[in-house]
Amino acid sequence: MTLLGKVISVNNPYMPYPVRIASVVVDSPDKSLRTFKFEFLDPEDENRFAYLPGQFAELSVPGQGEIPIGIASSPTEKGYVLFTVNRVGQVSSFLHNMKEGDIMGVRGPLGHPYPVEALKGKNIVIIASGFAVTTLRATVVWLLHPDNRPNYGRITFVYGARSPGHLLFKDDWEAWQKRDDIDVYVAIYKMVPGWTGKVGFVPAVLQEICPPAENTAAIICGPPIAIKTTQPVLFEAGYKPDNIIMSLENRMKCGLGICGRCNVGPEYVCKDGPVFTLAQLNELPPEY
Amino acid sequence: MTEYIVKEDALTAFFQAIANGRRLLAPQGQGENCRLEVATGPVSLDYGNTHLSPKATFFPQTEKILAYHKKADQPKYNQYQDLGDHAEPTVIFGIRPCDAKGLAISNKVFQNDRFTDPYWKGKYESALKIGLACLNPSPQCFCAAMGGSPFGEMGLDVLAYPKEKGLGLKPLTPAGEELVKAASLPSADLASEIKDLEKKAIEAQGPLDTYQIINERKIMELYKADHWSATAEPCLGCGVCTFFCPTCHCFDIQDETSEAGGVRMRNWDTCMSPLFTVHGSGHNPRPSKTERVRQRFMHKLKYIPIKQDGVRGCTGCGRCVVMCPANIDIRTVAATMAQASA
Repeated sequence: MTLLGKVISVNNPYMPYPVRIASVVVDSPDKSLRTFKFEFLDPEDENRFAYLPGQFAELSVPGQGEIPIGIASSPTEKGYVLFTVNRVGQVSSFLHNMKEGDIMGVRGPLGHPYPVEALKGKNIVIIASGFAVTTLRATVVWLLHPDNRPNYGRITFVYGARSPGHLLFKDDWEAWQKRDDIDVYVAIYKMVPGWTGKVGFVPAVLQEICPPAENTAAIICGPPIAIKTTQPVLFEAGYKPDNIIMSLENRMKCGLGICGRCNVGPEYVCKDGPVFTLAQLNELPPEY
Repeated sequence: MTEYIVKEDALTAFFQAIANGRRLLAPQGQGENCRLEVATGPVSLDYGNTHLSPKATFFPQTEKILAYHKKADQPKYNQYQDLGDHAEPTVIFGIRPCDAKGLAISNKVFQNDRFTDPYWKGKYESALKIGLACLNPSPQCFCAAMGGSPFGEMGLDVLAYPKEKGLGLKPLTPAGEELVKAASLPSADLASEIKDLEKKAIEAQGPLDTYQIINERKIMELYKADHWSATAEPCLGCGVCTFFCPTCHCFDIQDETSEAGGVRMRNWDTCMSPLFTVHGSGHNPRPSKTERVRQRFMHKLKYIPIKQDGVRGCTGCGRCVVMCPANIDIRTVAATMAQASA
C-alpha cells in the first residue's frame, strides 16, 4: 500500500490504541452480555487514555468496524479498562466470539464525563436499570476511592435488573452493601426463590427510599422506559431538571462530532454529550 | 492590501506563476459541465457554477484512512496503521464565494472545539484558494439571501473577478498576497469598482427575508411546527441534495477486508437514509422522512447558526434546488419555517 501525503502519527483521533483482551466474562444467563477486560499493548497508551466516569470509547475490531461503548472501569483502577457489551449487531457479535489474548483496538476516551467536579459538596443518588449500569458502576468506584469520597455528601445507589442473573458487577455491589459510606438498594423485577433483596421496578424502589432533593443530584442511566418512569418520582421528591443528569445513546461512527448522525438538535451526543441534564434536554428535540 | 490586474494576454503566465510547481485546480469545460479539475486545458472564466461543489477535493467521496495486517506472523498484526492524509500542495482557482463559504463552514466541523480531523486539515490547509466572484448570478442563486455575497470573501485567500477579459484580484490573506505578488502583476485601486459590481450582483438576486424570524424562534418552536409532514411529503429520500450540498459533510466509516488484511475507509453518507440513525436495537430516532427532512432543514437553518455565530449552513448555491427530483426548494422551506406557528 502506498502512503501519500504525510502520515499522521500524532493526535490522530481515528487511530485506535492496540489492546489485548485480558479476560472475557459472560454476564447474563442468555449470554447476551459479556464484560471485556483490555490491557494496552503499549503501557504508555494507558496514560494517553486518561478518562473519567461517564465517558465512552469506540471498540475497534479490525475488519468488522467500531462500536461506541461506555467505560465500565474507573480511572482509579489501574492496568486495564472494562467494557460490558450487549450482543446486537455485526461488531458486537464478532466481539462476543473473540478470546482472551486476541488483539484489537480501543479509541477514545470520547464524550464528556458525569460532572463529578461540579457535583463536589453534593449528595448523589445514582439510579441504574439493566446493563446501563456500566458507567454508573465506574462512577461509584470512582466516588468511593479514598481520594474522592471526602469531597461528596451522602451517596445512594439504586440498581435493578430482570433477574439475579442479569445483575452485573455482583462482587462490587455486594462489597458496597457492607460499607457505611454508601446506601445500596439492588432489586429484581420479579421475585425468585432465594432472593433476599428488593423486588420491583426501579422507580418503585426509588419511591420508597428517595433521598431528599436538597443539595442532591440524581444520575440516571437505563433504557428509555426506565428513564421516563423514573423522572416523575424525582419530580415528586422535589428534584429540579438542573439536578437530574442523564446519559444518551445514538448511532455513532466517528465519535468526534464530525460524521453527523448522532445529533440531538445542535448538540452531538458523542462530542457534546453523552451526558446532559434534563434541563438541557428539555430544550432539544427528542431524537434519541 | 492593494488590488492587482491580470490583462487578457497575461492570463496563461498568471496561471503558471500561481501554480509554481503545485497542482492547479481550475474550472474546466463550459456551462453545466464545468468542473474544478486539474487544469490541463484552457481555464474557463464564463460559467454559472461548477457542476459539483469543491468539497471532494478536501473530503473525497471515498477515502482510505487506516489499514491492518490480518496474518498473525506479520509485525503489528491486527493493529491499524495510518495511511496518511493524501494532501499535496494545491492552488485552486475559480471557487465561487458560496462554495468557499461552504468549505469554511465545514472546516469548523472538521476542526471543532474538541477534535481535529487530520485527513481534512491536511488537504484543506495545504490548498490556496482563489475565488471567482459572480458578476451575473444564475437564476438558481441566492447567496445574498443566506447572508453571503456574490463577492463574498469567507474561506478565500484571494478574490478574483472577470475584468475586461482578464481578471481583477483582491488578496485577502497574507498567503494570498504572497501568491499574487509572485506573479508580478500591475497593482491598481479596485475597491470602488468591486463595491459597485457587488451591489449590482446582489440586486440581481431575489430577496428572502426569513433569517431574523428563524433566528429569534426557539429550536422547539420551529421543530414542533405543524408543516413538516406536508413539507416532507414530496421527498423521495434520494439524498441528491446532500450529495451536491457544499456544506453537507456527513460520512460513514466502513472496514473492507481481504485475505491479507483490511482497510478502514470513510464514505459520504446522507441524513436522508433511514439507516443513517438506526440503533443496533432497531430503534430509530428519525424513523420517517418527516423527521429526516426536518433534520436537514433545521440543521442548515437553525442548528449550524447556533454553533457558528449566526452563519447559516446554507450558502445559497442553489444546487439542491436544481437537482431535487421532487422540486423541494430550501427558500420555500425557509419561508414556511418563518411563517408557521408551533
